[in-house]
Amino acid sequence: MIFSSVPFLYYFFPVVILLSLAVSRRQQDGRRTAGRLTNSILLLASLFFYGYGEPKYLLLMVFSILSAWALGLLVPKSRLAFLVSVVISLGLLGWFKYADFFVESFAAVTGIPAEPLGIALPIGISFYTFQILSYTIDLRRGKIAPQRNLIRFAMYVSLFPQLIAGPIVVYKNVEPQLDPHARIITAESLYGGARRFLMGLGKKVLLANQLGQLTEIFGGLDAADRSVAFYWIYALAFSLQIYFDFSGYSDMAIGLGRMLGFTFPENFNYPYISRSITEFWRRWHMTLGGWFREYVYIPLGGNQVSFGRWVCNLFVVWALTGLWHGAAWTFVVWGLFHGLLLLLEKRWLGGILAKVPTFAAHAYTLLLVGISMVIFNADSLQEAGEYLLSMFGLGSVSAGSTLTWYYLRSYGLLLMAAIFGATPLPKKIVGCIEERAGKTDFGKKVLEWAEPAALACLLLVVTAYLVDGSFNPFLYFRF
Amino acid sequence: MKKKLTVLAAVFFAVTLACWFHSPSEFSQSERRQLVQFPEFTAETVLSGQFASEFESYSLDQFPLRDPFRSLKAVTEYGLLQKKDNNDLYVKDGYVAQILYPLSEQSVIHATDRFRAVYEKYLSDSEGRIFVSVIPDKGYYMAADGGWPALDYDRLFELVASEMDYAKYVDLTGALETADYYKTDSHWRQEALTHATAVLGDAMGIAGDLKKPEEMDVVTATENFRGVYYGQAALPLPGEPLRYVIWDSLEDCTAYNFETGETTGVYQMEKLEGKDPYDIFLGGACALITVDNPSAQAAGIDRELILFRDSFGSSMAPLLLPAYSRITLVDLRYLKSDFLDQFIDFHGQDVLFLYGAAMLNESYTLK
Repeated sequence: MIFSSVPFLYYFFPVVILLSLAVSRRQQDGRRTAGRLTNSILLLASLFFYGYGEPKYLLLMVFSILSAWALGLLVPKSRLAFLVSVVISLGLLGWFKYADFFVESFAAVTGIPAEPLGIALPIGISFYTFQILSYTIDLRRGKIAPQRNLIRFAMYVSLFPQLIAGPIVVYKNVEPQLDPHARIITAESLYGGARRFLMGLGKKVLLANQLGQLTEIFGGLDAADRSVAFYWIYALAFSLQIYFDFSGYSDMAIGLGRMLGFTFPENFNYPYISRSITEFWRRWHMTLGGWFREYVYIPLGGNQVSFGRWVCNLFVVWALTGLWHGAAWTFVVWGLFHGLLLLLEKRWLGGILAKVPTFAAHAYTLLLVGISMVIFNADSLQEAGEYLLSMFGLGSVSAGSTLTWYYLRSYGLLLMAAIFGATPLPKKIVGCIEERAGKTDFGKKVLEWAEPAALACLLLVVTAYLVDGSFNPFLYFRF
Repeated sequence: MKKKLTVLAAVFFAVTLACWFHSPSEFSQSERRQLVQFPEFTAETVLSGQFASEFESYSLDQFPLRDPFRSLKAVTEYGLLQKKDNNDLYVKDGYVAQILYPLSEQSVIHATDRFRAVYEKYLSDSEGRIFVSVIPDKGYYMAADGGWPALDYDRLFELVASEMDYAKYVDLTGALETADYYKTDSHWRQEALTHATAVLGDAMGIAGDLKKPEEMDVVTATENFRGVYYGQAALPLPGEPLRYVIWDSLEDCTAYNFETGETTGVYQMEKLEGKDPYDIFLGGACALITVDNPSAQAAGIDRELILFRDSFGSSMAPLLLPAYSRITLVDLRYLKSDFLDQFIDFHGQDVLFLYGAAMLNESYTLK
């Protein structure tokens, strides 16, 4: 089930939120059993949410939860339990996500024919495996105590708002919230959460999906119909699509969590206003970057090692970051490309970027991020190469075409809206309006009605798009 | 804060309750299709994921106020986002057209291969004259003005003419204009085909036998016709007239449908209440129909026509009828060409291959 679907919006979620509210009220009335019931309801809802579309993979997740929980009880005192737990988690991830990649790569390198195993990727396995790993590693490090309550642990791994596309929640940060008595659902948290959820839903359905249609159209064109200009429009559209797709999902997850009494970490902070790739990664998929920093980069020695070792560490981390996104060489190259840019910036370019005019630094960052996104979305390295050559006029395509201008005109306003929406300007403008209107009683009254009315309109427009459209993929589902 | 929450929750739960308690419909008139019903709920369908997948379709198809919601989306696309098309449909001066792009030469070749198979098996030895004509879709007349993508029509016509060198190609492009098509449908308007009929008549040498405009009456079947694009475009477009032409002797003509075994008139008015009112013309899609014209037979006209056609041919056939004692309409989408001689005696009849550009560009249903 995905958030931007009618079954989730109008069937699953209303039931869950009403049950949660009902139990939460009993809990606030002082009934202790209600607390346990809250967690049980959320766990059952999460298991239903996960098993709804792919029931067979529910067993896999339940096995991951049970093994990690049981071994976790032993991990602080047993290195073997730690190793077994990590091997199980990485083994399942490796088998379901990477087995075919390794088979195909082996066949390509050695020339020995090998048939792909055809293993389907369980949704969200990368996300929940990383949550389990962080729990297990922190247990071993002595940073946390084992969670003896199976329901709470299972809820940590499977909580539906962040189960299938993050943000990646580290156990030590969310542990206090697993206690139902620490979570309070208020009118503020419900409304604030709903507002955040709807903003994310709007980003996903009204921007990401529409931009996705443009990239799909481009992908479906014959080579003769493409042009240099269209390749750049594609790069722009996909860069925006993936941002609104993923950040929209993160907004929805954070909003849902808030409605249920949880506080999830932020995952995006206007990455496209960055003035360097280094800054970009401080703003893009922050929970993944934080996870790799804490559980891979620093244990490898981080930058407290020789230059050669540091370079090696950097590329290992970025190759793994690439691989986390998908089992294909395009993702590895994408990760290494970012690793190389970060290396260059840390050693040489950083100083230059600090001195050049701001617009030049923005242009540098957007250009390189755009190029990296083309690699990211390519079906193969060969296709990535063809796309990049064509973008720079080195392919056999014309500079422009009638078709290019048609789609630029048709999607121009959407692209402009998306560019505008990727900056903090809309938030600033809304803040400014709220501040000014809030100075008078009349303004306050108008705001009191205008904001929920605008959100209700957004909900209805999004619903209209969902009812009419069938184009609704989540890019990060494959990770 | 509570007020804000109340407003938002009221809208959300109102839609939710409507979803839960809305009674399902069987059929969507605007989209002309059966709607998905509640899926079978068994252990097998649940465990296989089939239930989830079908429930998703059900929840969309049976969404309360589905048509107004679809209109809201279309209006947002055109009005707010200024998109040039929605679901590959565009609107200009009230006329809705579909983007047909790019030209699939493979598909056109597939079609002409099927026609050649018919020619080689049944027509090559006969004395009959063979004609072919491609009916341009609305995009031919509308696309250039707004920059909408359109087929490479020159290439399409050239391809058909060259691949069917055994037939005389009749160019209809100059005989039609946007106004000759329905605003909300892909088809041409029968009452507007005077020029197109004349061009065909001239090319086929039957112009003298065809009815002149002043010899025909135009009858309005309905003022509120909404064509196939109406539902797809989901825009609040007005209905339009659906008309047909008659003359005295046309009422004596009979159409025999080989699929149903029924003999009817040329126009079947009961189809006005059906899924597609355009089906009043010879009953709509059908593999094989023969239309007999007793007055032509009485006048000593023994000329016959075999019309290989798609749905455009249904409204053109009556206009050609005065020149023929019998017209046999063959739809190769529903009848394999190998079996034609079981139903048709090929003995030198005129033959016209009359197909719309859209069909030729997606012709893989031709058998």
